Amino acid sequence: MKLRNQIWKDNVTGYLFIMPQLLLFLLFIVYPILEGIRLSLYKVQYKQETFVGFDNYITLFHDPVFFKSIVNTVVFVVFIVILTVGFALFVSSAVFDKNAKYVSFIRGSYYIPVMVSMVVMSMVWGFLLNPANGLISYGAREMHLSTFNLLGNKNTVLPVVIFVTFATNVGQAIILYIASMIGVPKDLFEAAEVDGASRLRVIFQILIPLVKPTTIYITIINIIAVLKIFVVIQMLTGGGPNNATVTMMYYLYNNAFKYNQLGVASAVGVIMFIITLLLSVPQLRAMFKEK
Amino acid sequence: MFNNCKRMSTIASFLLVIALLAGCSGKSADTDTSQNEGSKASGKKKVEIALWLTPQWKGVFDATEPDADYDSFFKYAADKFAKQYDKYDAKVNVQVVAGDQRDELLNVNLNGGTPPDIFFESVFAMGDYAHRGALVPLNDIVDDAAKQDIDQGYWDNVTYGKDKEIYFYPFSHNPGTLAYNADMFRAAGLEKEIGGENEIKTWTLDEYNNILKTLKEKLPKNTYPMGLYALNNQGDTWNLAYLRSFGSTFFDNNGSIALDDDKGVKAAAWMKSIYDAGYTNPGAESVSSNDANAMFQNQQLAISFTNSILFNNAKADMKAGKSQKFDIRLANIPSESGNPLAFTYVVGASVFKTGDAVKTEVAKDFVKFFSSDPELVKASKNSVPVRSSVVKELKDQYPLFAAYDANAPNMFSFTGNVPGYSELRQVLYPELQAMYVGEKTPEQAVKDYQSKGNAVIQKARENSVIK
Repeated sequence: MKLRNQIWKDNVTGYLFIMPQLLLFLLFIVYPILEGIRLSLYKVQYKQETFVGFDNYITLFHDPVFFKSIVNTVVFVVFIVILTVGFALFVSSAVFDKNAKYVSFIRGSYYIPVMVSMVVMSMVWGFLLNPANGLISYGAREMHLSTFNLLGNKNTVLPVVIFVTFATNVGQAIILYIASMIGVPKDLFEAAEVDGASRLRVIFQILIPLVKPTTIYITIINIIAVLKIFVVIQMLTGGGPNNATVTMMYYLYNNAFKYNQLGVASAVGVIMFIITLLLSVPQLRAMFKEK
Repeated sequence: MFNNCKRMSTIASFLLVIALLAGCSGKSADTDTSQNEGSKASGKKKVEIALWLTPQWKGVFDATEPDADYDSFFKYAADKFAKQYDKYDAKVNVQVVAGDQRDELLNVNLNGGTPPDIFFESVFAMGDYAHRGALVPLNDIVDDAAKQDIDQGYWDNVTYGKDKEIYFYPFSHNPGTLAYNADMFRAAGLEKEIGGENEIKTWTLDEYNNILKTLKEKLPKNTYPMGLYALNNQGDTWNLAYLRSFGSTFFDNNGSIALDDDKGVKAAAWMKSIYDAGYTNPGAESVSSNDANAMFQNQQLAISFTNSILFNNAKADMKAGKSQKFDIRLANIPSESGNPLAFTYVVGASVFKTGDAVKTEVAKDFVKFFSSDPELVKASKNSVPVRSSVVKELKDQYPLFAAYDANAPNMFSFTGNVPGYSELRQVLYPELQAMYVGEKTPEQAVKDYQSKGNAVIQKARENSVIK
């Protein structure tokens, strides 16, 4: 009993220090998750809540737009993450060992779009791509390319959204990669040089394997970020044409705030939470294993 | 020494937690204090209410007033109300919200328990909130004088259910028509199709098709005959009107959508045909009504949608030198039968159930005040007054009132007074987008709209609190 009291006394300060963070975590993260799970089982009408079991989930699985939103989200995640990791690796491996000022310039250039709000970026792209009076459409008409509407064609709208999101995100990945590559021990490169290895071989056999933890980290944060892709859809396409760019987050938003179907929206949220969890667990495990 | 440090850090941690908790509740405490102080000073209890509105007219009475803005009228009305109000020391906080953000804002605030006390908006966009039980009936503030001064047709628009509960106090109405650039018509040699300055010109559908064709041939590059849009639900009433242009009644007697017939399909096919022929701006599927309106004001479109407020604002902007001047005139939406398609938005205030009896009382009193004060109701001239007394007084100054009045027999109710209208609006534009991009035929788009729309109406009917 005395010993237990002693352990408690020794640790109480530590617990008190983490308590504010723990309280905020419980209040703003855990409670909303639990409340979201609860709401997904209810039909919410203004001030009245009715328990409906899994009806909201059944409604979702009968809605073709929901399936379209899952497919679109997966397409965005796959392409944006591959593009981001691939391009960031390419740029970083090309510049990391160059003059420090040059590296800073490259880092700064790619990081500028990250600092600009996604809303602003989407609006600027919206102005450029507006089919009636946008700059790109105007240029296309001047070059006699007839009607040119990248946002109105379901084959081009996905690549446009992918490009806009990728262009905004890639700066963060480049910063992380350059920092990680600068930290790779120089003697490895010197040894490779002595052995007569080409730069391509150095990149693929020394650099990329040694920055693997960074690659895993960038992949995880990008997957989680792109799963929640919303702003660019809301500002640029409104989910159109004919739901061609609806993502799960946009579908959730529509149900929650436009159709006032809080139960259905919560069900989408729960499904997104489960998907994110399933995707993250193996990746996190791999990351911790590496460490 | 070590123990002292430990004790200090323990105390510091507690203080941090307490400070955080205090921070969360600090705001409400401050508000209470300021309210109490206010009450003491004036001798009356201070009550603050929130009024939200979507952009209507600028200025108190006229858009040409200095510093005219969308909230000018309500700020003036609130000031006048506070000076003569003897029950409480009332303060009205006026906030203008974007039309396309209205439902998002209201849903978030309703679910968070912080709805505005009053919302001033077109009735059609707010009907769902009455069905959801979020609004307070206003029967007790509508007196016989108001009932006599405002035509029964407007009261029908705002009265719901068997109990004849009035949820909106009609202030003005806002007829929807087309606007055209008479200068561009002249440049294309279409002088004979131009109506009078105070006329709402009626064309037959054949004449209209011919106008579009001529404009297409004669207009310079990068200008288009007509505005067409389907990016979102904004301005969708004109799309609904076009879908009636071959005689479809749109709704059946049971309040279900009945567009999927020969007339409805023909109308959808006509919309697609004018789009394909290049008679409209390109990319209708990704153009919004705001874009179309801006293009019309920039003289990139010869014909566009308008309503009386947009029309007056456009004229005021031209007069103030804020936009290019051109000869802007009105026309009806044409139909195959030759009878114009006319609709109007009744605009008025509704009071939300906030759960605070005092605020609800003040909100109702304020709504009654600005909707019936002889001076303030004259602001309804910015669209079209619903009060016969105001029309009578101002008709000589505003000759278009008579033109709008002449359209009354051709009016159709575009909402069909069906429940779930807000969600129903979200169903139409994706189908139009699919039709314009060629993903669906007009037949398929109409069919899918009808089945999806009827499912929305059915669900909303089951959930409605109004019987």
